[in-house]
Formats: sequence, C-alpha cells, structure tokens
Amino acid sequence: MADSSWTDSAKSLKGVILDMCGVLYDSGEGGGTPIAGSVEAVKKLKASDLQLRFCTNETQATREKFVAKLQRMGFDICVSEVFSPAPAAVAILKERGLRPHLLVYDGVVPEFDSVDKTNPNCVVIGDAADKFSYQNLNEAFRVLIGLEKPVLFSLGKGRYYKETDGLKLDVGVYMKALEYACDVEAEVIGKPSSVFFQSVLNDMGIQPQEALMIGDDLVNDVGGAQHCKMKGVQVRTGKYRPSDERHPTVTADGTVDNLAQAVDMILSRRGC
Amino acid sequence: MAARRALKAVLIDLSGTLHIEDTAVPGAQEALSRLRQASVAVKFVTNTTKECKRNLLERLQGLNFDLQEREIFTSLSAARRLLEQKQHRPLLLVDDRALEDFTGMDTSDPNAVVVGLAPDRFDYQTLNAAFRLILDGAPLIAIHKARYYKRKDGLALGPGPFVTGLEYAADCKATVVGKPEETFFTQALSELGCSPDEAVMIGDDARDDVGGAQNAGMLGILVRTGKYRAGDESKINPPPYLTCDSFPDAVEHILTNLL
Repeated sequence: MADSSWTDSAKSLKGVILDMCGVLYDSGEGGGTPIAGSVEAVKKLKASDLQLRFCTNETQATREKFVAKLQRMGFDICVSEVFSPAPAAVAILKERGLRPHLLVYDGVVPEFDSVDKTNPNCVVIGDAADKFSYQNLNEAFRVLIGLEKPVLFSLGKGRYYKETDGLKLDVGVYMKALEYACDVEAEVIGKPSSVFFQSVLNDMGIQPQEALMIGDDLVNDVGGAQHCKMKGVQVRTGKYRPSDERHPTVTADGTVDNLAQAVDMILSRRGC
Repeated sequence: MAARRALKAVLIDLSGTLHIEDTAVPGAQEALSRLRQASVAVKFVTNTTKECKRNLLERLQGLNFDLQEREIFTSLSAARRLLEQKQHRPLLLVDDRALEDFTGMDTSDPNAVVVGLAPDRFDYQTLNAAFRLILDGAPLIAIHKARYYKRKDGLALGPGPFVTGLEYAADCKATVVGKPEETFFTQALSELGCSPDEAVMIGDDARDDVGGAQNAGMLGILVRTGKYRAGDESKINPPPYLTCDSFPDAVEHILTNLL
C-alpha cells in the first residue's frame, strides 16, 4: 500500500505538472506505448478543477510532432499545455541577442527556425544521439573555444535514458565533456532548472506550494520541483529504480506505482 | 638531501627534453652516452596516447639516440600493467597506432574500459558500449585527461572531455595512469628495481614531469627546452630540485653532484 501522507495537501492543490516519458508512455519502437491507466488518468485530471500542464526534457522532436504522437496514443493533450526545453531556449536566445551553433537532433531543428544562426556566438546542445560524433562535438568545441567568453546552453542534463535496446547516453554527458574541454559552466534549460519550472507555474498563475509534480526521474523531476518549493511525487514506472527510494540527497514526497494510482489518490482526497 | 640514498636511476622525458619534433636537443646524444657510462640505470618515460613504443623508438633512433624498446615506459605501458595486475579484459578506446602496445591481451567479453586519444572511437555507439560496461562495474582507466590538443587543422578535443562525460554518466571516478600520477613513476621505477629516493627525473614539463616525480619522492630536474616557458619553475611547490638550460646540463649536474 502506498504511503498517502503526501496527499494531505491535495485539498489546497491548484495545479498538477506531469512528466511525459516514463509517466504517460514508455519510449521505444514505433514511438512507444502508453503506460497502463495513464490515458484514463489524464482524462480524469482534465475533468477535475485542477489545472494541468506537461513538462518534458524531450528534445528529439518539435512539440507539434511530439504532441501528435501522444494524441495518437489516445492522450487528451494539446501543444499549448506542453513545456519543453527548445522553445524555452529560443526565448532566451532572442532575449539575449545570441546566435546559436546547434548540436541537436535533426527532428528538433525546426524549433529554431526563427533564430539567426549565422556567425554563432554560443552553443546549444540537446540530446543529439547518433549525431554526437567526434566531428560534431569538435565543431561545437571550436565555436566555444573561439569565443572570448564561451556560452553553452544544454537542453536538460540527464545522464542516460532507457530505450528498448538498452541504456543510452543523454545530453548531460556531452554537456560535461564540453564544460571540461572549455572550462565553462553550461546554463541548463529544462528540468531540473528552477527557471523552467517557474515558467510552467507562471503559465498556470499559481504559487509553487499549490502545485504538484509527478515524474519518474527522482533527481530532475522530483528534486527539481522540490527545489522550487513544489511537492514532488515519483512513479514506479519508466526509469524508476528501487534504489531511488534510498537516494542520499533527494526524497520524494510520495512514491506511487503509476500515474493512475497518483491521480486516484489526489482526486479521492479532494472528494471528487 | 642528506637522507637520500645513492642515485640508481634516471628517468628521462622524450619530447621537449631529448628532441623537439624532428630535431635533437644539441648535445643530447653525447650526454645520454656519458650518462650510460656511469653506474646508473636509465628509463625513458612519456605520456603518449597514440604512439606505440616501436614508433617512439624509431623516431629516437633516427635522431641517433642510443636506446632500446624495453627502456621506454609510456602511459600506455602503465595502463597495460594496471590491467594485468587486476587481470582485466579491456575495451580499448585507443588509437590504432597504440593498439600494438596491448598485443596479446584478452579483449573478449571486456570488463574494463581504457580511454586514450581516439577520435575514431569516440562515436555515440562506442561510448554507449563503454558506458554500459562501466555501469556494470567495469573500471574506467584514462591514459590521461588532456582537454584538447593542437593538430594541423586547429584545436581538437582530447580524451579528457570523454573521460569526464563517462564519469558523469556512470557516477564514477576514472583512474588516470600517465604522468603526473604517482603510480606512473613508481611503476617505471619498479621495472628497474629501485625506489623513488634513489631516482631523478629530467623533463620539460614543470607539473607533469618535475612536480609529479617529486610528489612520488624523486628529485626533479626541469630543463628550459620544449614546452618550458619562463617562470615555469615557480609554478610548482616545492620548486624543482634543479632548473637548467637543457638535457646535457642536467646530465653534467648528475655526473658531478649525484654520483
């Protein structure tokens, strides 16, 4: 039986933020498959008086394509409800007048169509997967080392993720490589950055104490949300490992079997 | 100095100390010959990630230095020794030219990862394979952790960034085997059967050659050739035992004062 003390604040809750991969669906062949009960759980949340947003570090596709994939799986979801690092990066680049050299997956390049990329004065890296070749990494390195003050943005900083054919290195590994090579510290855009979570809260117009984050990544989802004074609940799906429940620095406010269980606990506590 | 034992061995750096690119340091060949006539063992020690001992030997012999392959100890040798001591089967992310120094090692079903300078092997698939081994408990061994190096078409990433990335991915710490690590010097000396307080190191790199050797308990002599820049001797603490103009001066000092 799941510990339910985290639902004590359910009555004062105004909004819920859901991680996507590992909470709504498992990635893999043909785009992935929904996790049992998650389609229904999202429907229930939408039917409630709670606000709902989705927050992902997905950087392999544009939001439009990504959301279309989830709709095909049966999720009731639209683009304006989804927060991902690439659009946040575009906003920052424009605000600071920066022209990026991109080392990102081909599928996400269109997100940067509106940004001037000539004569780059910063580097943006995302989860580029097979595009993380020595040659491509070296090009990014040369842009950075050629700048008087190197500026590196990283879309998330995950260590690795799971695909059907095994564990894969994530963007954080290459961010660390470039940080070490150029002796710089990257600015992380996406989870667990507080700026990123705050932009979601601003969109809902609520305070962090009124919001709950549900994710499968203990450090980036749960820890990141808690750092912003939100509550963070971890699901035992996706990249969850039993050792997460004994993590030295991050303790989830609650741990549940899956999204469906979390939603049922919240809604029943609210008397829905 | 009174407590030091009689000098038994001299460790000598190669590039920047005996030669600069394809030119020998003036007088270095004769100085080496004179050193060999004294009752002291000699070993040549260098950080290399892409050249096997045979390549190094051919270059030095081409410059008329008198030395043999078994007298050369490189960061690749140090990696091999470590693997053999622990009976590990390595996945070798090293340059093709360096593979020769691992000839005869069992590399099937690897349970250790060795990272040198290997641009051709730093692709996503290979690094994923290395990462999975490390996550399963394989040790990560770095030949060295240089950030970048210079090549004809400009600066290029060294092994350090990839080692650092793998350390982050698997939440582990690499074992670095080259200079200035203490074990590098003690391994080189153990092949000569002597201890650090019976040995002196001559090199052009204040931190990697002289500082590393002195940390290991040896004397360190810094030469003002190769990568030496004015003021380098004050960049390490304690300072070099001696700083002199070039390798022949260092030999002269050893012959006159240390034997």
